[in-house]
Amino acid sequence: MNEPDTLGAGLAHSGVSRRSFLKFCTVMASLMALPPGAAQAMAAALSQAKRQSVIWLSFQECTGCVESLTRSFDPTLEQMIFEMISLDYQETLQAAAGEAAESARDEAMKSSYGKYLLIVDGSIPTKDGGVYSTVAGVSNHDRLIDAARGAAAIVAVGTCSSYGGIPHANPNPTGAVSVSDIIKDKPIMNVPGCPPIPSVIAGTLAYFVTYGKLPELDHIGRPKVFYADTIHDRCYRRPFYDQGKFAKTFDDEGARNGWCLYELGCKGPTTYNACATIKWNGGVSYPIESGHGCLGCSEPNFWDKGSFYRPLSTPLADNAHIIAAGTLGGIAAGAVAAGLSRKHQTHIGEEK
Amino acid sequence: MDLLQFARGPALTWAATVFVFGITWRLVGILLLQRSPDFSEARNATSWLGAIKLIVTRSWPRREFRQRTLFAQSVGYIFHIGLVIIVFGFAPHILFFKALTGLVWPNLPSAVINLTSAITLAALIVVLVRRLSHPVLRLLSNFDDYFSWLVTFAPVATGMLTVAHFGARYETLLAIHILSVALLLVWFPFGKLMHSALVFISRGTTGALFERKGASI
Amino acid sequence: MSTADIDSIHPLELDQPRFSVKNPAVRYDKQGELPDVQRVELAMRAFVKDFGAVAATYLESCIHCGMCADACHFYVATEDPKYTPIWKLEPFKQAYKREAGPFAAIYRVLNLKKKVTVEQLEAWQELIYDSCTMCGRCTLVCPMGIDIASLVGLARHGMNQAGLVPHELWAVAERAQREGSPLGATPKVFKDRCEWLADDNQVDIPVDKVQADVVATMSSIEIMKYPDSIVATAKILNHLGLNWTFRSDGYEATNFGMLSGNSAWQQEASMKLIHATIAAGAKLLILPECGHAYGAIRWQGANIYGKPLPFRVLHISEFLAENTQNGAIKTKPLDKTLTFHDPCQISRRGGAIEAPREVLNGLGVVPIEMKDTRGLNWCCGGGGGVVTIHRADPIRYKAFQIKMRQVDDTGAELLVSSCSNCRQTFDDGQDHFHWDKTMLSLLELVADNLEEK
Repeated sequence: MNEPDTLGAGLAHSGVSRRSFLKFCTVMASLMALPPGAAQAMAAALSQAKRQSVIWLSFQECTGCVESLTRSFDPTLEQMIFEMISLDYQETLQAAAGEAAESARDEAMKSSYGKYLLIVDGSIPTKDGGVYSTVAGVSNHDRLIDAARGAAAIVAVGTCSSYGGIPHANPNPTGAVSVSDIIKDKPIMNVPGCPPIPSVIAGTLAYFVTYGKLPELDHIGRPKVFYADTIHDRCYRRPFYDQGKFAKTFDDEGARNGWCLYELGCKGPTTYNACATIKWNGGVSYPIESGHGCLGCSEPNFWDKGSFYRPLSTPLADNAHIIAAGTLGGIAAGAVAAGLSRKHQTHIGEEK
Repeated sequence: MDLLQFARGPALTWAATVFVFGITWRLVGILLLQRSPDFSEARNATSWLGAIKLIVTRSWPRREFRQRTLFAQSVGYIFHIGLVIIVFGFAPHILFFKALTGLVWPNLPSAVINLTSAITLAALIVVLVRRLSHPVLRLLSNFDDYFSWLVTFAPVATGMLTVAHFGARYETLLAIHILSVALLLVWFPFGKLMHSALVFISRGTTGALFERKGASI
Repeated sequence: MSTADIDSIHPLELDQPRFSVKNPAVRYDKQGELPDVQRVELAMRAFVKDFGAVAATYLESCIHCGMCADACHFYVATEDPKYTPIWKLEPFKQAYKREAGPFAAIYRVLNLKKKVTVEQLEAWQELIYDSCTMCGRCTLVCPMGIDIASLVGLARHGMNQAGLVPHELWAVAERAQREGSPLGATPKVFKDRCEWLADDNQVDIPVDKVQADVVATMSSIEIMKYPDSIVATAKILNHLGLNWTFRSDGYEATNFGMLSGNSAWQQEASMKLIHATIAAGAKLLILPECGHAYGAIRWQGANIYGKPLPFRVLHISEFLAENTQNGAIKTKPLDKTLTFHDPCQISRRGGAIEAPREVLNGLGVVPIEMKDTRGLNWCCGGGGGVVTIHRADPIRYKAFQIKMRQVDDTGAELLVSSCSNCRQTFDDGQDHFHWDKTMLSLLELVADNLEEK
């Protein structure tokens, strides 16, 4: 296939209007809260940019992240992304298969050494030599180390590659870990979410292509522009929380009135993501708007933080047994203490 | 395991265990001490009425003591009522009790809780200043008094910060808040906070003994 | 150390007017020649031995709110924080937590509560004896309902065993144990007095009747200082036509064993009265106008006896009230205004609160109540043995001023009470302050105004 070199030319070739392109840049710039004029800069940079070589490795994953990206509501977005990058290896999307695919990747790794962007979705199994997930006889672990060597930066897409995700959940039978658990010497950006919001993936890619570096990250590697606030902070139901109005069940008066879902286990207050602002399906809705509490899917270990329906302010464990044991132990200790005291008294009494 | 998981998980579990273990230990240890029978001829046979009477009436000062104890009683009342409102009126707290006991009751609006918290904190600070400055209180006070104050103050303060999302990330604040409660639970049986249980036993004891004699209660 | 030695080292001036004591040196007293370690050991043992669930509940409950200070006449009069009632128990609270409380083992192993030292006990002698009348006013302010007065009583057991009792109090207690009366009212003195009082006053005073329905008792203060009370008692009992008697084997109702903290002496003194009453086959024991005597027999007597007493026990004011109300005693109306001082041990802590008022009503008087009255009255400052302790005089006088103000505020012409220990304290205070009020005895007031049949 004879593809145009620059993004601008590519877009024109695919019939994307300048107007649509500028709109895309404006949306991305505003999503990332870039300064005024950044949209113009981005448009200029992107249209002149050579298409960024991207190698996308899928490990222990469900393909949800790729689905999220490709099935995003706005077809232009998907198109934008694939015009922006040269996706040199992606098992789900590429036409090639088998050795042809493998050699395409090896070639890309060689030709763009030190420049390509490595995207990873899925966690990496480490137990038993990593046998639980292999591609072409090579374990995910080894493949990651091999591919990371020549990468300019790594983007971990989805909670699995960011923090281990569901495969990492107790009891973690495959010894699944995140990319950052293995790779220590490359800039890594985590774009967690199960799956992440498509615009977030697109925005961060646009940023990288525009500025040639990763955006500013928070303490667990997430781009601050999208992950600075909690769902709770930005939730349209927040006023009900502040008023102390809570839905008690999923079909009570409070639920129908759209009251806060805190009591139904919403993890919004501890979940940092952009769902409440960017929303899903082209800005149509997000889980809380659909009447279900946030699961906290973009947070590390979200699967192991107790039931999704257990409110945040409650103990994680069911303490009934240990409390009962404590009570009995206390009675015993108290009886012993009182007994010793009485014995002591009798003893003194007899001495006299 | 992150801090919040630790706080909501093992920290709370162990704190609750120490809490019940210590409370029962202390109460049983006191109540099982020797009790001698009273052979004197009772003036009033229904001594339990005296117990109830004293438990109820000692909740406010008698006229004779009102003037001298008004300030201490008022501040004491303010922060005690404040604590009750916060602990039992705030929706997330009710959920906490629901998870432990299965009981639920209606919550108060968060604005009320916020205002109450601010007043309670102020009252607690007044109480501390008074303890540090009043000659009698300064003489009487020991580690227990100051530490018990701290573990009471800390959950209210961290709770307010948590609700306001002020000072750190919410999950960190929530974790610190829960850990401060865990500290309170652990200290509770061993210090003067036990008065919340002992007050009934102590008042009841005196009430019953005194009613028997017809003495003033 | 023999008693003679003690008397010569600290001569008792019990017969002198109290204000003659010019220099109550700051000091503590010791009895015996025990090494310090043993003193502490004995104190702790005595304290721990009498310890029960009730005292434990109290010591566990204190929240250090300091309100008890505001109820205590010694604190209110001096504003000295050391007179805060619960502070007076500090070493014993410490000892309890270390030796007997539910967490005693933890406190001991980690040494969180230090061992009480003899220096502490010496320093606390003033607080446990000189500045506490065990009036129990603090008990009524305590938001935890702690009966602090009873704890001071327990602490005195320990102090007594350690030989750390203020000298005068120990000496009178010892004398009471030895002679049967703290003020020298031996059985012989008592009998002699009864004899000449009977002669002087033309009244029949039966002593040692073999059988009697009623046994009356006296306090040594009355016998030695207010003998008119003996006459008044006799007059009234004769007036009622009762078969009554004094018993020379049980006439002294004061109990300095109790006040000084000596359980054995307390027991012995109480048993004398109990045995005498039983020996006479009496159905009623009348206790005199003495505060602590009432508590000692009415509320502790049966427990010392080990089973319910086979007779009724009444304070003289209760006895008078009963007989006033049933019309047996008729009195001439008293044309004076009057206020009544509630003796702590009889009224607040004894429960005989309305009895004296009923008696006064019989005299046609409704007492003008003091501002804080009945169970909430202010103590005269002399109870609990404090009036015997010379070095306590300065703070006792300060505390007494509260009482004087109270009485003056009523504007009443007469001042009446039903406790000879209060009376003695009032008399002493009257002398000291050149006050114009004289404390009258309820008993004598009734006797003087009896309507002849």
